[in-house]
Formats: sequence, C-alpha cells, structure tokens
Amino acid sequence: MGEKSGPEKSGAEKSGAKSRAGKNDSGLVARLRSTRAGEALDLRRRVRRLEAEVQECRALNIRLAELTDIVTELLLPVAARDEEKLAVLLEKYRQSV
Amino acid sequence: MSGVSVDGQGVRARARNEAVLDVFFDGRRIVSFWLQRDGVRDGDGWLFAWPKTLREFLDGTTEVRVVVTRTGQEVFRDEIAFGSGRGRVAVVNQNGQPISLDKYLRRVVAFDTRTSAELEPMLDAIDEVIAALREVGIEAFLAYGTLLGAVRGGKVIGNDSDADVAYVSHLTHPVDVIRESFRIQRELIQLGYRITRYSALAFKVDVEEADGTIRGLDVFGGFMMNGHLYLMGEIGDPFQESWIFPLGTTTLEGRTFPAPADTDRLLTAMYGASWRIPDPAFHFEPPATTVRRLNGWFRGLRVGRARWDRIYSRVLKKMPGPSPFIQWVASMEGALGTYVDVGCGRGADALYMSERGEPSLGLDFQPRAFAEAQSRSTDNGLVTYWPLNLLEIRQVLATGAIVARRPGRTVVTARHLVDATKKPARDRLWRMCRMMLAGEGGGKLYLEFLVKDGSDGYAGKHRVRRRKPAKIVAELEQWGAKIEHRETIAVSDVPGASKVCRLIAEWRAVDG
Repeated sequence: MGEKSGPEKSGAEKSGAKSRAGKNDSGLVARLRSTRAGEALDLRRRVRRLEAEVQECRALNIRLAELTDIVTELLLPVAARDEEKLAVLLEKYRQSV
Repeated sequence: MSGVSVDGQGVRARARNEAVLDVFFDGRRIVSFWLQRDGVRDGDGWLFAWPKTLREFLDGTTEVRVVVTRTGQEVFRDEIAFGSGRGRVAVVNQNGQPISLDKYLRRVVAFDTRTSAELEPMLDAIDEVIAALREVGIEAFLAYGTLLGAVRGGKVIGNDSDADVAYVSHLTHPVDVIRESFRIQRELIQLGYRITRYSALAFKVDVEEADGTIRGLDVFGGFMMNGHLYLMGEIGDPFQESWIFPLGTTTLEGRTFPAPADTDRLLTAMYGASWRIPDPAFHFEPPATTVRRLNGWFRGLRVGRARWDRIYSRVLKKMPGPSPFIQWVASMEGALGTYVDVGCGRGADALYMSERGEPSLGLDFQPRAFAEAQSRSTDNGLVTYWPLNLLEIRQVLATGAIVARRPGRTVVTARHLVDATKKPARDRLWRMCRMMLAGEGGGKLYLEFLVKDGSDGYAGKHRVRRRKPAKIVAELEQWGAKIEHRETIAVSDVPGASKVCRLIAEWRAVDG
C-alpha cells in the first residue's frame, strides 16, 4: 500500500469570519435563528468549527515531538559549551533527520 | 453480468450488483476495477473508461479477456484493435518491463510478472529491514498486502508491487510514538540505510539489492491508545494488545516471517471481514474519525510532494545552465562566506556560484533533482547538496543552525519557491532565512517568483502559481525582514510574456 499526504492545515480559519452573531441581528434574523432549522444550522456550523479546532490541537503533537527531539539531541550538549563537539553533533543531527 | 463489450473507450457491461472485474491483454492482467464504483452510467449499463495511465499504450491489437475476479468466470474474450491496430499492444515501462495498474490505477511492475527467483531479493530485503528494526528495539511484522498474501496463500499477491512491514509501539501517546519513530530513523541511518519519511509515523527504508537496484520498503508505525489500535496509514479500530503480541510467524514464498499474534483480527481491521476474498481493486475507506485522527496527529509533512516526486521520477532533461536570476544576483554580490539556494531543483545555480569560487549549498527535498549536479561536483569541493523538507522543523532548524555558524557574508536565494509552496512551508523558509542571515556576518535574501501569468506557458513550465508581491512582502516583514529592493520584470520580450517579481530582503539584527 502507499502512504497519503495529509492536509497541512484544517479549514479552521475559514469558518471564523462567517458568523459574527449578536450585535447587528435584526428581529427577523433572531427569529429565524430560534427556529428548529436555524438551531440545527447553527449547531452544524459550531460542530464544523470545533472539528477544525480539534485538528489544530492534534497538529501540536508533531510540533512537540520535533522540538523535544531537537532539545534532547542538541541543546543539552550545547549547554556543555564544547564548540568542536557541537559542530560535529550538529552535522550528525542534520544527517539523521 | 451481461452485455460486456470492449473498445477504444473502455469496458462496458450491464450488472445489477457491484462486481470486481479483471482485464487481461494477451493473457496478462492489466487492470482490475469495480464496475459501479469506478465506472460511469452508460445507457442501461456501466462504462469503465480506460484510465489515463493506460491510454498511451493502447495502440495495436491484443486479445482482451474480462473475468469476474470472484468466480473466475470469463465474460468477454476477443481480439481488439486499438488506434492504428498495427503490432501487438505492449504495456511496458522504459526498461521494457511489463507493467500493470494497481488499485489506485498507478503503473507498477506487479509481482505476477516475476519468477519466484526474482522475488528472492525482495524477501531478503524484508528480512534485512525486520532484522535492522529488531536491532533498534522494534518488533516489526508483515503488514497490509504482504501479510494478506502470506496468510491467504503463503504467496505474494500477484497484483501487488511492494512490500509493507509494520510495528506496534509499546508507547501510548502520539508525541511519544513520534519521538520513537524519529529515534528509529536516526538509528537506521546510522546502520547505513536511506530513509524517506512519509509522515511522523511512517517512512520508507531503501534497501540495495544484490544487482544494485534500490527497493523501498514501507514501514508503518502504530500504537495502542484507549483500547484502540492506530496504525498508519489506515487503521483506527477497537483492538487488544494481545492480538498483536507476542508476535507469531507466517510463511511467505516458503520463508518464515514475523506476524501479529492474531492475523485474522489485524487483516479484518485492514481489509474488512471479507479479507479472504481476493479484490485487486480494493480501496481503503477508513471512517472519517480515523482519517481525522491520523491526519491530525501524524500527517502534513509532505504536502504537494507526490507531484514533485512524479516530476523527478521521469527521465530528466539535459542539465540546465545558470538562470538569469542567479547571474543578476552574482552581479551584485562580491565574495561570500556561503551561498545557499533553497529549492535548488536541478542544482544549476549552486553549481554556477561554486564555479565562481563561492562556497555553495543547494537544498531541495527531492535528492533525485540534484543528483546529477552533485555527481558533477565531486571534484569541486565548493558545492554541496543536502536534502531539505521545509515542512520538517528538525531539518529546518539544524540546517539553519549550521549555516548560521559559518563565517562571512551569506546570500540565500529562492527562485520559484514561494510560488510553488503554501504559507506553512513559507513560514519555515522565513524562519530559516532569519537564522542564516541575522547573524554578525550579515547577508541578503534574494527572491524571484511569478506575479503575472502570461500567455507564454511559463507558469506551467516552472509549475508555479502567481503570488501577490504585497502578500510575500507582508510575510517577510512579519518575520522581521526589511525589503531593500522590489521590481517586476517580464521573463522575455515576447508579447504576453509572464512577469516575475524580484525581492531583496535583509535582517539587520538578531531579535530571537
């Protein structure tokens, strides 16, 4: 089987601008919102946004793992302040990622 | 199944129920498909149109047979003339090897064209990779099509074309299993293997066979969490660890390999309860929740990569000369400490700068792109080429740190990179440029990208999409760069020529 590439980013940003509810709602919009269909639409929109936000949180796993990897492999030796060793280590790390 | 006919368009058939069909040309299986899933409505039946990947071969005459996969019943057999009708239809690759289409309709050299002696090197490769993984503490086993073939009949599956192994980590959190995957990669590289990462939990190990052919074996990572097995690239099922461990064995082409403790359960998770029934056109369709989890946790490291892999897997054209862009850059710069070309492609510009005496570094995520420049530069100690995937932060930070430590002035160029990448990759590019250029030695970033798509086919040739200069400038400024120069020029004198923007940016002081 082959491997898939996944989406780099979810559609979270897109959904943000759509509904700025509240302030400018006319009476009609408010009444429509309070109907069953309006509530369902609103919920659907909120679920979509929540799903996107969950994906954003999941993406942190890779970031955290990447940064932890660098810290443990490189920054700890950096603290030892051995220039020569550090140069060797940096090159070795680059080749290993 | 009735009314089966075959012509230059494809295979037509009437069927009340879904059916999987195999198509043979002169006795050799070429493609398999689901009539209704992969076909389109055609009168009172269905038409499976010849896939794009097959059409270029359809010239000549061949005996076409159509067979129902499940029953083996022949539903069509006739001599068919395609195109000119001259000669026999030959579905072969550049090396003359017979090829067929896999379940995703990609061209592959399938196992059914190999003798068992020809399969030996692959079995050796599986052995070697499983042993190497064991050496770094990982208990791997046969997976996906390779496991399916072994358990179903002790043989590789005829329409399959690669080998898969998998492992289930003893760790139980995405961050930990990703870090473990990084460690495995590091240790396999130390053992001398080349690794290409697919995702944060799957990679390919290149194994050199006796005759020098490089075979890629896919290694899929997995782990248990909250009573579920998550295994790249398709599984997220309720599962028990005891169905995997302790590993058992299975037999493939007469050799013994590790297998999960309960092969039935794992194959059911992979292919559904009907895994015993052959289906060469099987598509994985994991539930949306599984796809979302695996995407969110592990994927996003190779966005857009398949396209460039395809471009560079073809026979490459003659090595290009230096670009007008690099000649423009060189005309403005004196002696450098380091010249870096990010997204160097074939590597011609880095080669050119090194020939002018500048220590040069070409970076591209596809090593095949710069392989020729690299081999040409063996007696030129001034140029090196490194693979770099901007979407992998570890590579970006390590490469940035190494260049930042080099003495002297640094010039970074990126020609047709920002117009071939999206913002996540560009953000990493700006980060790396800042690391490389904000140090004491100083330096500049030179960019060239498409801003107006003309009628000259330039965008298609360079495989780029136009970008708004204001947007790129805003991104750079957000990352602390100052724009020193900005111009828009036509790429040629031809009427309707495309236009590119050239930018020069600088980072003055290290601000973190």
